[in-house]
Amino acid sequence: MDVDASSPRRPTAPRGLGFAEVHTLVDDDSTREPARTPVGFTVTSERFTHCPPAFKHAVQESWRDAVQQLNGGRQPVTILNAFGKAWEIATAYLTPKDIALPQQDIAVVKAAVDYVAAAQMGPALLKFYDESLSRQIPFLEREIDAYMAAWESSRDVATVRKLVARLFEWGRAWAPAVELGGAFDGIFYTTFKSNLHIALPPSFPEAFVYLVQSTIGDLSDTDLFKELHMLGMLDRYEALVASVVCEQIERQIETLCPGKWDEPRLPELRHWLGDKVVAWLMEQYSRAGTSASNSIPGHNVIVQEAADRFDFHICKTMCDLRTSEIFDMIVDYPDSMPALLDLKECMQRVDQRAHLVTTLRRLNKRRLLHPGADTKDILSQYVSTIKCLRVIDPPGVLLFKVADPIRRYLRERPDTIRTIVAGLVGEGSDLIDETEANAPMQTAVEDYSDPNWEPEPIDAGPDFRTNKPSDVISTLVSIYDSKDLFVKELQVLLAERLLAITDGNYERELRNIEILKLRFGESALQVCEIMLKDMTDSKRLDQRIHSTNPSVLHSTVISKHFWPALNARGIKMPGQLQEILKAYERSYILQRPDKRLHWIPHLGTVKLEIQLKDRRHEVDAAPMEAAIIELFSQKETWTLDELATSLGSEAAVVRKALSKWLDMRVVREDSPHAYRLLEEAEEDDGQTGLREATPIAEDERPAVISLQQQQAEQMRVFWRFIQGMLTNVGPMSTERIQGMLKLAPGYDRTVEQLAIFLDSARREGLVDAKDGVWKIVK
Amino acid sequence: MKVTVKAWHAIAEWRWDTGQQSTPDTDDGEDDVCGICRLPFEACCPACKVPGDDCPLIWGECTHVFHMHCLLKWISTPASKAQCPMDRRPWVNAERKVNLN
Repeated sequence: MDVDASSPRRPTAPRGLGFAEVHTLVDDDSTREPARTPVGFTVTSERFTHCPPAFKHAVQESWRDAVQQLNGGRQPVTILNAFGKAWEIATAYLTPKDIALPQQDIAVVKAAVDYVAAAQMGPALLKFYDESLSRQIPFLEREIDAYMAAWESSRDVATVRKLVARLFEWGRAWAPAVELGGAFDGIFYTTFKSNLHIALPPSFPEAFVYLVQSTIGDLSDTDLFKELHMLGMLDRYEALVASVVCEQIERQIETLCPGKWDEPRLPELRHWLGDKVVAWLMEQYSRAGTSASNSIPGHNVIVQEAADRFDFHICKTMCDLRTSEIFDMIVDYPDSMPALLDLKECMQRVDQRAHLVTTLRRLNKRRLLHPGADTKDILSQYVSTIKCLRVIDPPGVLLFKVADPIRRYLRERPDTIRTIVAGLVGEGSDLIDETEANAPMQTAVEDYSDPNWEPEPIDAGPDFRTNKPSDVISTLVSIYDSKDLFVKELQVLLAERLLAITDGNYERELRNIEILKLRFGESALQVCEIMLKDMTDSKRLDQRIHSTNPSVLHSTVISKHFWPALNARGIKMPGQLQEILKAYERSYILQRPDKRLHWIPHLGTVKLEIQLKDRRHEVDAAPMEAAIIELFSQKETWTLDELATSLGSEAAVVRKALSKWLDMRVVREDSPHAYRLLEEAEEDDGQTGLREATPIAEDERPAVISLQQQQAEQMRVFWRFIQGMLTNVGPMSTERIQGMLKLAPGYDRTVEQLAIFLDSARREGLVDAKDGVWKIVK
Repeated sequence: MKVTVKAWHAIAEWRWDTGQQSTPDTDDGEDDVCGICRLPFEACCPACKVPGDDCPLIWGECTHVFHMHCLLKWISTPASKAQCPMDRRPWVNAERKVNLN
């Protein structure tokens, strides 16, 4: 049944049948320009004529009905004729051609299309348009291939730009006129774009990236925006555009920011983003927003969202950069303050806190916490870290996490306390910051009734305490569990400084002690207080003595039990020096009849004038040195042993003091350990060689015994106990020894310290360890 | 050669003159302690904070010496019967003679 096959075709492909009817059933020659016969026509009519008449009739009936319906009750012949013509014009217009060919008059086309549409054939026309668009794509492909080949060989972005312009031209030529209505536009945009994108070679996205890169932020080429939009490239390559923008941001940060911490960079970057990139995007995508086919209200909101994302990218990139630089930024603090504030702002957008902590911990481990670093440097870096991280994160969670390894490391260093205390009392110390609140150290208790109470930050660890002492000194002191160690060390350092002062100016020390009193508490610094009082008292007393009995000697009289142990080394002062001391002592007794002075002869300084035959020296000498030269004024040649005996001192000490006079060429070593005063200057004849051959015994003992030495000294006492214990009781474990020693007065060591001590005794061969018990070595 | 001392800044520590002559030779570094508080004379008594003139010594005719505060505290207790804690003789303050040798 042939007809059965053809009749269902009617609604789907009516144009072939329609034209067949015009010629076979209706004898009318009003068709001036016969239309090109559609393909299906002949086949259908032939089949039709060979059908039986009854069936033929029935089909004719139904066909007439269909035409009737098609013509809408009007005169069929004219309508069909006109329709044929209109169809022809419309299809001719809608068939994409080489753009070199001339264009048709749009008014005529419009009329034709309207006509076709009125005949309810609009969908068919649209379909035809759709298909013919797809068929004509090879035109585009030729162009694209040519330009892409040029691009591949030249890598010149201008080629890509030209390609875009060219494609745009094609598109514009093929696009249906606005008058034809939105339906054609829609078809055109969908089909043209999809076909175009199929036609574009895989290498195109890369070329496109270059194009975007070269034009981003440049608003002058307004054609480009129009063209890109029309070709649908912005929508299709949205991800590419975004990645180019991100890349631009990264490049911008890379050129502007690394190593530049002295001014804030974030506002500048945001400005750049707003001025260039967002404006560019606005130009691109707002065009999309205003076009008829893609009208989304509030397109600015979309661009705004994109801008937000890019802002986030700025923050992220900045954060990464600054995080990687954080160590050097801390070194540069406070010059790096602007960069820190930038980082802080970025961190509020990007949650990189954990990353910052791990990075800084890693950097600290690599660059700071190793034996090559000076304790002083570690401390100052730690202080800077405290200050910097307090800027970035006021609650101190980051600091808490970063500081922990530093503190643990510092605790292991033997000279940490000394360095901290030196920082507290020393010259040019930046630890004592007067602008800080000098709150006394205390363990704050959480106030549960506080209406402004806030929970601890979310990433705070279980050990974190908000109420930790937050000023720098307290933080440093809290490295150790007790502050007693600090106070003792402070005492030692203060003693050294006070005894070195000769001009009676203790202002600085007084001020420091006052500040520290607020930290450590009055009672802890009682001893320091007395040391300072000794200084002022002796100054006053000295003035009183001088008002009655003037002397060249000025004294500082100290209260022995309140000063750290001083290296007492007796010197018998010879000649006039002894006279001076005795005279001063007598004047002192007049003032303080119930007290006696005990000189500490190796401390202090003597200002001497030495008159030789041909020259004169004025020198500041240590008392020992003064004593030696005084001896030489009595007798011109001395041996080392003679000197040591006369001074009541050790030969090594004398030798060291002698070196001063040897260096000044006042005394000469004629033969080893025999010295002669040079009344007249003598030429240097290999003197230095001789002296170098007998190097001076190192005796750089400081005037004040350091805390460590004091502890070692104390341990010697306890060693007697241990010895006794191990001898009388037999082998004992460390814990047992510790338990016994606790009964001894003044014993304050931990088990660990004791174990270390015992181990060093073992190394010296005094005790032996076996099965966890200590045994005395007989 | 002539050596002239232009200036000298010397350091000394003070000790109470307890009458016993201690020369640097006999000075073994062990200090005399107060018989009551067992603290050195040159340190202050447990009740004081500042040594020296603020916490002076007291001499008895029995030649015993104490921190003044320590002794006064002792004397003020009824159990002391105003006796020297060392030899139980009645406590009499000794006049200090200034030894200007």
